[in-house]
Amino acid sequence: MIDSLFAAFIFPGLLYVLLWTIGLFWFFRKFIASLHKRVGPSFNGKGGSYQTLFDLSKLLTKESITPDGVNPYLFSIMPLLALIIAMLPSAFIPWMDGLVVVDSSYGLLALVILIGIEPFLLFLTGFGSNNKYSFLGGVRILTQSISMETTFFLASLSPALLFGTMNLTEIVTSSSWLSFLILLPAFAIYFVALLGLLEQPPFNIPDAEQEIVYGFYTEYSGTNYFLLKLAEFAEFMAVFAGATTLFLGAYKGIYFDSYFFFFMKMLGIAVAMMTIRAATPRITLAQMLSFSWKYMVPLALLNLAWVLFAKSLWFMGA
Amino acid sequence: MKNLRKIVEEFSCEYVENYKKIWIKAKLNSKNDLLTLANALKKEGLRSLSTVSPTDFLEDHIMEVNYFFEDLETKRNLWLKIDLPRKVEECKVESLTPLFPSAAWHEREAFSMFGVEFLHHPDLRDILKSEDFRGVYPFRKDFDWGAHEKNQMQNIQQIVDAFKKEQEENEIELDPDSSETMLNWGPTHPASGPIRLRVHCDGEEVISIDPDIGYVWRALEHLVTKKDFVGAIVAVERLCFMDNINSMVGYCMAVEEIADVKITPFASWMRVLLGEVARVSSHFMGLGGFFNNIGLHTLGMWNMDTREFFLDFLESYSGARIATASIEPGGVRYGLDMSMFDELQKALDKFDTTVGEVEAIFVKNPTMKLRSDNVGILSKEDVHEFGLSGIVARASGVKTDIRIDEPYAAYDELDLKYITQEGGSANDRFMMLFRDIKQSIEIIKQAKFHIEKAVAEGEMNPTKDHMVKVPKKLPKGEAISRVEWARGEVLMHLVTEEKAKSPYRLKMRAPSFNHTMMLNHLLKGRTLSDIPLIFGSLYICQGDLDR
Repeated sequence: MIDSLFAAFIFPGLLYVLLWTIGLFWFFRKFIASLHKRVGPSFNGKGGSYQTLFDLSKLLTKESITPDGVNPYLFSIMPLLALIIAMLPSAFIPWMDGLVVVDSSYGLLALVILIGIEPFLLFLTGFGSNNKYSFLGGVRILTQSISMETTFFLASLSPALLFGTMNLTEIVTSSSWLSFLILLPAFAIYFVALLGLLEQPPFNIPDAEQEIVYGFYTEYSGTNYFLLKLAEFAEFMAVFAGATTLFLGAYKGIYFDSYFFFFMKMLGIAVAMMTIRAATPRITLAQMLSFSWKYMVPLALLNLAWVLFAKSLWFMGA
Repeated sequence: MKNLRKIVEEFSCEYVENYKKIWIKAKLNSKNDLLTLANALKKEGLRSLSTVSPTDFLEDHIMEVNYFFEDLETKRNLWLKIDLPRKVEECKVESLTPLFPSAAWHEREAFSMFGVEFLHHPDLRDILKSEDFRGVYPFRKDFDWGAHEKNQMQNIQQIVDAFKKEQEENEIELDPDSSETMLNWGPTHPASGPIRLRVHCDGEEVISIDPDIGYVWRALEHLVTKKDFVGAIVAVERLCFMDNINSMVGYCMAVEEIADVKITPFASWMRVLLGEVARVSSHFMGLGGFFNNIGLHTLGMWNMDTREFFLDFLESYSGARIATASIEPGGVRYGLDMSMFDELQKALDKFDTTVGEVEAIFVKNPTMKLRSDNVGILSKEDVHEFGLSGIVARASGVKTDIRIDEPYAAYDELDLKYITQEGGSANDRFMMLFRDIKQSIEIIKQAKFHIEKAVAEGEMNPTKDHMVKVPKKLPKGEAISRVEWARGEVLMHLVTEEKAKSPYRLKMRAPSFNHTMMLNHLLKGRTLSDIPLIFGSLYICQGDLDR
């Protein structure tokens, strides 16, 4: 009983995910500021390190405006739902050796589905906002998620094919340098699809502020906006953790295995994503569609063939 | 020029005279000749109508309308005047918009401000002025601004009512069976600035765009008439904060021409130097804005960083970073302490060390090219027809640059060449901005070197040479001046009365007005994603759009 409560609320549950999310939020802001050659506010805490906490608490306590003519339940429950769904994958991730809350033989499936339904919740937020810009944002998010998730699913399935299991713990334990090399193309495809799924540049089309005023975010303010933002960053964390688990051997290190390696691998993906964000403008919806269906999906299918081929070479009978 | 003169002389004119090097000034006797003359001019090659500027002579009961025709290729220009009766009911003239598309908004402006009715204009609606000015003409000399201001609450109510009415009508006018919607792109849109585009769209596809401008209309052209000739620079420089120096240069040139004053070589070199510094700092914002509009803020931030150094120089010279008020009729406002050039050198060094990075990461950015190649293409023909200027015109391969066409200040002593791009796409306009910055930096270096040399040789005295006296009262007269502003050609038309202490009329023709006119032309049939990109690439500033 105590164990499950601890797992649900402290580690790797609510508190842990919140800490990670806020930490990621803080890291993103500081990292991108230095790439921008920008000096942020330096008044709160040492070198302005508390600024994010202040911003978040400000957002949390601000008035949350519900516009006229929307369904208030749909409008207000969606951010909460989005946050909860984004936090759930944490339960399936083997954070440390032997530490996983739900050790299911369908862990991978759960992970992929929990990540995959998030865009549909965001579409509903746009749909429920009764705003032309939000609606356009919702339509864009649907278009993008359908195109990008195909690639995403195909790429995430390659480890399962290679190791013949959907259990995340088993995937991690059976991973090696060789499997890492075999899965490298799958990882690259997963990373690109991740950019599309998380609406990061160059695929930040659904919440393009210069085009459709942040899309589904337009009508959100105060607490609801805070929850949506938190959901977005919890989703970041889930996807990074998924990538680390599937392709990079999770907590496995060079000389010893430790949570430290898990942490650094996730941070590495975050840094790569931020660097792309700081140097790449947005592409259009049509360009995204043709990129996704003309290149990414065929590549992902080819990759499956490659994984099967590699499996027959090195992993058969093992 | 002879041909042009011949054409004009065929019509009955009060006078035809040469004006400056590349202008002919003429006054038509009858307004009925206007259309035929315009036709002949178009055939001769004067395809752009720069602006239409009425002047209201209250005592003579005359509304004098000035047309400025330009040929961007052979650099021949015509300043044509006609007199119209001043009474609103009789103040009518044929519209030139069917012949010269560039006149469309200029005629609308003349209609809204002066009540000149242009017959057969395709779309003669009010522009710029807010709804509380419906039916009255604020720039007419007998308009009582004081009385208008007294009804402030009522005026505001009028604006609110008109807006609500339009909101309601928008939804009603649309076809209920189609999926067409109307988006208000602005005035509080993240990428719009104070302008509103009424975007009719079907899902992602743009059907048509109707810009609604005037959100920062300050009636600058009226404000200057309330100030003396020196005080007026404060209104003139607020054309746009990003390049304030060059607009002041244009105004001061017009004043000096009427006062018949010649400025010192030191002052004219300083005008070049300061003008180019302002141009560079404006272009930095333009480059950043281009990327901001396609969702990348890094270049904007980096450029802000470099721009600060140039603003430091402006601050050390004038005490202000943005609104410097440092060009005055008669020269430049302050003497120069040679140590101020250290600040400038720092800025130039900073630019030289960062330009490589910017070029590698952003100018050659493949994703940017993917977005902006083949988007928003303006042909040479468009440039001529719509009277485009500055980087927008040069990006389409039209060789137009007032600094070379009609050199002012010390530009004739500089080593300057036209730089152009061929494609006319959004990407070409971006490249044009970047190359323009490089050219300006070269000019700054030349000007700095020249001033330092002349000071060292004792030819210039930087603390005393900066001003010559301009009389407080000016004789009756009028003058036009053109400058190459950061965004293109600014044409100032200044009219003074006998013993005038303040301008009687100042028309500022600003380039963004023409460029904004192009939005519908460029965006029809494209997608929503292209709106910010093309809007950003046209390098529009709402300050000089609305004035």
